[in-house]
Amino acid sequence: MWKYFLRRVLQMIPVILGTTLLIYALVFALPGDPVVAMFGDKPVNQAIAQQIRAEYHLDQPFIIQYFYFLKNALTFDFGNTLRGNRPVIDVMAAAFPVTIRLGLMAFVFEAIFGVIFGIVSGLKKGKWYDSVILIVSLLLISVPTFVTGFVMQYFLGVQWHIFPVTAGANPGFIDLLMPAMVLGSTSMAYIIRLTRTEVASNRTLDYVRTARAKGLSNRSVIVNHILRNSLIPVVTYLGADLGALMGGAMISERIFNINGIGNTLYKAILQGESNLVVSIVTVLVLIFVVCNLAVDMLYAALDPRIRYA
Amino acid sequence: MTNTISALPGQERYVAPIEETPLRAVDAVDTDAPATSMWADAWRTLRKNPLFIIAALVILFIAFVAVFPRVFTNLDPNYCTLDNSRGAATAGHPFGFDLQGCDIYARVIYGTRTSLTVGIATTLIVILLGGIIGAIAGFFGGWIDSILSRIVDIFYAVPLLLGAIVVLQMFRSSTSIWKIILVMAMFGWVSIARIARSSVLEAKNLEFNTASTALGSTPMRNLFRHIIPNALAPVLVVGTTSLASYIVLEATLSFLGLGMPSGNVSWGGDISTAQTMLRTQPMILFYPSAALAITALAFIMLGDAVRDALDPKSRTE
Amino acid sequence: MTENTNIPEPILEVKDLQVEFNTSAGAVKAVRDATFNVYPGQWVAIVGESGSGKSTSAMSVLGLLPGTGHITGGSIKLEGKEISHYTQKQFEAIRGLKMGLVPQDPMSNLNPVYRIDTQIKEALKANNIDITREQRIKIAEGLNMTEAERIAYENVHDDSDELFLGSDKRSALLEAAKKAGEGIISDETFDTWDKEWTAGSVTRWNVRHDMVKAGIDEKKAEEIANEYVTGSSMSDRIAGLLDEAGLPDAAMRARQYPHEYSGGMRQRALIAMGLAARPRLLIADEPTSALDVTVQKRILDHLHTLTDSLGTAVLFITHDLGLAAERAQHIVVMYKGQIVESGPSLEVLQHPQHPYTKRLVAAAPSLASKRLESTKERAEVHSKQQESGHPENISDTVISVKNLVKEFKVPGRRELFKAVDDVSFDVKRGTTLAIVGESGSGKSTVANMVLHLLNPTSGTVTYEGEDIHSFNAKQLLDFRRHVQPVFQNPYGSLDPTYTIYRSIEEPLRIHKIGDQKSREARVRELLDMVEMPQSVMSRYPNELSGGQRQRIAVARAMALNPDVIVADEAVSALDVLVQDQVLHLLNDLQAERGLTYLFITHDLAVVRQIADEVVVMQHGKLVEHATTDEVFNNPQTQYTRDLLDAIPGGKLELGLD
Repeated sequence: MWKYFLRRVLQMIPVILGTTLLIYALVFALPGDPVVAMFGDKPVNQAIAQQIRAEYHLDQPFIIQYFYFLKNALTFDFGNTLRGNRPVIDVMAAAFPVTIRLGLMAFVFEAIFGVIFGIVSGLKKGKWYDSVILIVSLLLISVPTFVTGFVMQYFLGVQWHIFPVTAGANPGFIDLLMPAMVLGSTSMAYIIRLTRTEVASNRTLDYVRTARAKGLSNRSVIVNHILRNSLIPVVTYLGADLGALMGGAMISERIFNINGIGNTLYKAILQGESNLVVSIVTVLVLIFVVCNLAVDMLYAALDPRIRYA
Repeated sequence: MTNTISALPGQERYVAPIEETPLRAVDAVDTDAPATSMWADAWRTLRKNPLFIIAALVILFIAFVAVFPRVFTNLDPNYCTLDNSRGAATAGHPFGFDLQGCDIYARVIYGTRTSLTVGIATTLIVILLGGIIGAIAGFFGGWIDSILSRIVDIFYAVPLLLGAIVVLQMFRSSTSIWKIILVMAMFGWVSIARIARSSVLEAKNLEFNTASTALGSTPMRNLFRHIIPNALAPVLVVGTTSLASYIVLEATLSFLGLGMPSGNVSWGGDISTAQTMLRTQPMILFYPSAALAITALAFIMLGDAVRDALDPKSRTE
Repeated sequence: MTENTNIPEPILEVKDLQVEFNTSAGAVKAVRDATFNVYPGQWVAIVGESGSGKSTSAMSVLGLLPGTGHITGGSIKLEGKEISHYTQKQFEAIRGLKMGLVPQDPMSNLNPVYRIDTQIKEALKANNIDITREQRIKIAEGLNMTEAERIAYENVHDDSDELFLGSDKRSALLEAAKKAGEGIISDETFDTWDKEWTAGSVTRWNVRHDMVKAGIDEKKAEEIANEYVTGSSMSDRIAGLLDEAGLPDAAMRARQYPHEYSGGMRQRALIAMGLAARPRLLIADEPTSALDVTVQKRILDHLHTLTDSLGTAVLFITHDLGLAAERAQHIVVMYKGQIVESGPSLEVLQHPQHPYTKRLVAAAPSLASKRLESTKERAEVHSKQQESGHPENISDTVISVKNLVKEFKVPGRRELFKAVDDVSFDVKRGTTLAIVGESGSGKSTVANMVLHLLNPTSGTVTYEGEDIHSFNAKQLLDFRRHVQPVFQNPYGSLDPTYTIYRSIEEPLRIHKIGDQKSREARVRELLDMVEMPQSVMSRYPNELSGGQRQRIAVARAMALNPDVIVADEAVSALDVLVQDQVLHLLNDLQAERGLTYLFITHDLAVVRQIADEVVVMQHGKLVEHATTDEVFNNPQTQYTRDLLDAIPGGKLELGLD
């Protein structure tokens, strides 16, 4: 188990290096000189510009710049924003908590409802509620999240006043409920489909029949054999999705006006804050990679065949 | 152990009357059934699947709309006058007008082409790129596989939406719809590459490849004649389903202001501009959203039906 | 005692059973009017090919018909009670407790995510089994004890006598027994006790009985047994069950996961599971078909002893007539969903009356005793060579294998694994050499090296005197023309995307022989050769049965007019009759064309039908090499004797008529 863990961690390193390099390269291939942009409408003072370039290693070759970035990132020093000169780490620290809360709420929502509906559907194939669940999940997948968001905002917020229409500055649990449902809706639909397929196919496996032949009650067979084995791939999917949710929060945050990391990233992109963009995306990717690693560990814990391979 | 001389009741010697249990030739070939390949078999299953029939009809219709928009409207989707702004539905303008006073019906019709082009082009590129890279990794194995797999891992670690946003913001000035296709393909190929790699790996280990090698076939010949045809099915199924997700993603990017350049008529862009009027006139948002959802739904249903037909094990019914 | 009381009640009565499956093409009858009885303590075998309805009949008894299967008529009585209409809830109450299952495929029947002990514990818990003592089936109901024996047994037995030994007091018991027996019992006896007194399996009565038998004072023995044999814990019982099923180091092994077990070990775990709740009836569905013959024999021997001692009745499903006759008192032969013949096993086997049974008996390789005779004229290979004018250039040996060694890297281990270890043999022109061995013997590795699909670590393979591994591309292509393979898996060796025509034509295309037209003519000719209708040309492999695909594979191998065919387990996956058909085909082709065969198989019975010479391999080494008659009549090594011994039904005397 530990050997497996160590191997996975080691495999993660080149992926993180490669991914950050990829993002860094993409963002800094940006047309336009960020230093010039700093001056805004004022005339550019070449001497000061040069000084700034040296300070941020912008006069160095690209790959060197990357290594400086990497070195600083390891000490959580992501530099300052170009406008306002705020430390990037502070900007992120201000925006991340609400996104993490939103992401976790969405995660809990999609996990609970996705798995429950998936199990019900998989066990009772062909019943009317199976068809309903299936159609709803298909709809959720084919309608873009932002449309789902608008529709829910319109009906649940504007028309029926069940939830607050927007979240506002310091959103509480209730404020984030609808945004979280919107954020988790597509994944929930995928989880329903995955769980349903797994449950339905596991039901006919040989060892399930053997378990019945042993005299086990229908309940134990379903809980201990069908569900336990069906949920392994579902858990894997969920774990990987937790990382992706943070990145996907942008849509939900835009619609419900939440000042989370997604909105911050969106604004940073519009304003050409390349340093902020790289830093946020790097952190998001790191979260994604770490979640994937956690999933692998979880997978190994759930399935002994992986553990000993 | 009792070596019964006289059998116990119910265990006496019994021989079935031969007329009731006629013998057939050993392993006779049934020559009556029609010839079927995996694909012909799948087609036969598909033809009977209502899910497939509906999806296929919808897609055919959408494709027709995309190719011949003039059959459905003679209005110019870009002809907008503020006089008509937020105008209600009238004769000849069944969906009414949007904020700029453009005819919504015409825009929905013309948006079809954009969405379909983006979806199909992205899927084709992704299948080609991902398929080739995945096939190479799976077929050659060894260090080639190691390197390619790491590259796949690197791209896989960037969520599709994030990656697309980062790249698209650099090309905001470009007005070609190809930028969005290429950007989605850039981050979308990895999932196909993973599937292609594993299915090539699986096909490679099947015995008929060894058989062909022993008949004198070369590895390259095996790859093209045996492995790729056998590894194609899962790639195509995932490709069909992901076509829908590219159409949805394009709309999402348009919503974020990073999608279609303004000259193009796009459902995503129209939904995005309609959001400001959500509280007053939700129908402006409804029409393009519905068109988008129907299109995506049709492709997902098609993908599901094809998957079920090719792999009866995962059948959802 | 009157005649009537002597006749026991059957434990299972199946009468006019009908089972149907709903398919898209309508209802399909899988079982029609099946009638048979099973008596307590008896082994009854249902014999048939795949699709004969034998498994379906058994599963309907358990209420576990797959998919759309359902009973449409007839009755199933368990201990006199009608169960054919039972709901799943009602079945839950009797499954495990009244009837157990030992399923067919050991690989897929254990849940991979649970340890073995957890899976056995489930069976014990679900049926509320008291794990401290043996739940003995009332012996009186069994057939294995005389009336006197039964009375004697019941007189000395009370409930506490059935308490199991617990692991906590095991060493203390052994100590006490040793002390009590000082000077009376030998060291060997004590060693036997140490081995046989397993916690969770041996009872107070067993211990006392053993001690008294060894000469310890009856009273003293009772005292010791009562003090130390006081019941087992759950883990003791689980280990005991596994031990009874013949699993070595059961207590330690119980904590492992299924994937850490070999096929044989998994099958033992499944047997332990099926018998955990001491069912009165055990349904064994091809319990050993996936295993090597020697393992199969050991497991079945063990199961037999175990069910005999417990008085369990066994409904034994198998495709192997020899095996059925050897193990069961009563045989039921099924064909296309119907019972064609049933009766006492030896009688059915020795005097088959239904043409199907006759056919089956005639085709069973385990019952055959000599090489197949071809109806076709045997080609005079040698005289042909004389005619060719260069007799001195053509030696008798076509393929020669010398000191062949193949080593593989094993992941996670430093030292190399020797799959083939110093193997040498010659294959003579126009004859068949069979390589026999169990899984892991290295026989297929040898075949792959002969086919130039693997490179040897050392040693040589020569074809017509030339080292094949020194060939250049052109020579290799030429070699491939002359040496053709037929592989094991009829479902894997033909490309499912190719029509039969393209499959057979492929070698002609690769070697650029003929044009479109002549190739088509050749394919037609080849189909005739393997007795397949030409209309199959446009078909795909998935439409053909296993045997038909294997005949197509033979046609493909024959396309280039090869000299040598390497057949790697070519008939192993086939039903008996189909296997017989393919073997005859191969034999006829050899006779007509003077082909040389290298025949790889795990089945010694098949060898006798087709081979002239036999090479026996074990753990990568060649252990015996002789003519077929020599190997069968006068085996030189213990391993070969074990293999011969394990042929099911091999020792049955057949006074065939």
